[in-house]
Amino acid sequence: METLNPRVRLAWAIGAVVTAAFLGVGAAATDRFVLGVGLWIAVTVAGLALALGLVFVVLRYRVWRFAVRDDDLYLERGVLTRVNTVVPYVRVQHVDTQRGPVERALGLSSVVVYTAGSRGADVTVPGLTPERADDLQEQLRRLAIESEREIDAV
Amino acid sequence: MKLHPVSIPYRGLSRGASVGFMLFFVSQSLAGTDAIPFALVGPTAVAIAVLGVAAVVAWEVAYYRRFEYQLGDDGLELASGVLSRRNREIPLRRIQNVDISRNVVQRALGIAAVDVETAGGGTTEASLRFVGYDEAKRLQREIQRLKRGAGGSAAEGEDGEMTASDEGAAAEEELFALATEELLLLSALSFDFRYLSLLAFGPAAVPFVPGFAELAFVGGVMLVAVLLVGLWAISSAMTFARYYGFRLTRVDDELRYERGLLQRYDGSIPLAKVQTVTLTENVLMRRVGYATLAVETAGYAPGQTPSGGSEAAVPLATRERVLGLAREIEAFDLPTFERPPERARTRYAVRYGLVLAGLAGGLFSVRELVGFPGPDFLAFAPFAPLALLTLAPVAAHLKWRNRGYAVGEDHAVTRNGFWDRTIKVVPLYRVQTVIETRTPFQRRRRWRLANVVIDTASSAGSAALAADLDRETAAELRELVGEKLQASLAERRSEGTDSSPDGTQGNARRD
Repeated sequence: METLNPRVRLAWAIGAVVTAAFLGVGAAATDRFVLGVGLWIAVTVAGLALALGLVFVVLRYRVWRFAVRDDDLYLERGVLTRVNTVVPYVRVQHVDTQRGPVERALGLSSVVVYTAGSRGADVTVPGLTPERADDLQEQLRRLAIESEREIDAV
Repeated sequence: MKLHPVSIPYRGLSRGASVGFMLFFVSQSLAGTDAIPFALVGPTAVAIAVLGVAAVVAWEVAYYRRFEYQLGDDGLELASGVLSRRNREIPLRRIQNVDISRNVVQRALGIAAVDVETAGGGTTEASLRFVGYDEAKRLQREIQRLKRGAGGSAAEGEDGEMTASDEGAAAEEELFALATEELLLLSALSFDFRYLSLLAFGPAAVPFVPGFAELAFVGGVMLVAVLLVGLWAISSAMTFARYYGFRLTRVDDELRYERGLLQRYDGSIPLAKVQTVTLTENVLMRRVGYATLAVETAGYAPGQTPSGGSEAAVPLATRERVLGLAREIEAFDLPTFERPPERARTRYAVRYGLVLAGLAGGLFSVRELVGFPGPDFLAFAPFAPLALLTLAPVAAHLKWRNRGYAVGEDHAVTRNGFWDRTIKVVPLYRVQTVIETRTPFQRRRRWRLANVVIDTASSAGSAALAADLDRETAAELRELVGEKLQASLAERRSEGTDSSPDGTQGNARRD
């Protein structure tokens, strides 16, 4: 089983900070126009959100792992609801690599695997180094072609 | 090929009328304001409406002139578009369903709308509005014939020989026809909350005397009763019209269905494209030994069709009959289901108990905070949910009893639900992904349970769910389904190289 690059925690933490800031601003606005109890409520809300967000980041990183197995890609993830997914290579429609602005700044990359399924139609593996992401994309692409031959996906 | 010429006046009239009305109303509502520099009265309004209608008619003529389609060996080619042109080619192998629909007016005019569905995209891939009914049927037949031909030449030679023998008019074998009494029974049994919106005008007509709590209570009960009866009547009428004259036939490797009283539907489902077979029996149907069958393909976007996805369904038949039909489509044996462990049942009972307690607590606090207007006999209303506590174990048992899963040679089967018991049969070679989930509650040491979802590309309904398995069993099931998928794919590959003795079934399913 492979774990994600530790730097992904930083990327997620930035997301948590942004969310906490938004919630804080929202609380401040509510306080200003409705409640009027003081600015401490906004600070509390933001602080709680940030603490919770950071705990989630740590837990999510600990849970997240994946394996490139013989016939399928296997992923384990989820903080509250644990989700273990099996994606057979035969079912892979296409594979993307993605790099958002934060990921680029941190030197990270994600791989997105698409299937034709109705529920788990796309699976994202975040927190990979760009080299690993390219490797993984290439590897998955090759495995998908190898295992497919003439069988129709749908 | 061109569309049917009648489609110009038909489209023009139906579209023109709506555009004309819209322009008329817009101009009426703008008439009083200073939004436009000239007065919108009498002749001007009429002139604008006439102009609008003329523009629509011109558009439709252009649309007709632009629209061309051609069915060839490679696929269905379409060229269309008035302002932005579009050429589209749909490979034969990718076509899932071909649906023909005709409403009353279209039937009188002898025209039909044809929709060709593929698995990709959110919308219908090709829609012909409108062609002659004979032409629509010809397209449906030709697509089937060419598809077999294309499959044979591309993949293997033997298919070509096979089709050569039964070229021409393929034999149509009737699988199922809905008898009148079955249709009436089905209509009487149907109750669909989705028609609630149609009853939005209903409550205004219900007598409702305000002021007295008792009367308000009685009024409320009456309102609910009227609503329920109205809903039932509408659902029945809708079901009757929808399934009137239902027939399911099999033409070689395709299923065909026909149905509808006012709007007539006529569709094809290639057996090679079947993703999931679903059997549903609600409580009443189980009592009298009836069931419903739905055949799901990847063709439709969710909720796109009137019946919410799967058009090919046997609406009601005896359980044996439905099972027989289902086996005709997918050769499976109804297994003995493995139920969730007994602690899952305890968990359901605890869950129901907690919900009832929460409800009672909520009602109680509302009463304490707001006070309860009304007579004394309602004072204990907040505790009413607690009376249902005795039912919680029963409900839990029924839920547990009706759940189950089984993995056979070629199929995974799941069963869920007491009110609407649903059995889903998933061919293992159709599996797309396997997802095992554990919610925080399921993860508690006391329960140690997990859900497994076996996902296919089916666009109708929900995926097959094996709920509340023992954690280890769930992990095993997850791996087992993955392995079985690989095994069945390997089997298909070897079948493709050496000639398979079983005729249509093997050929039909390989594609």
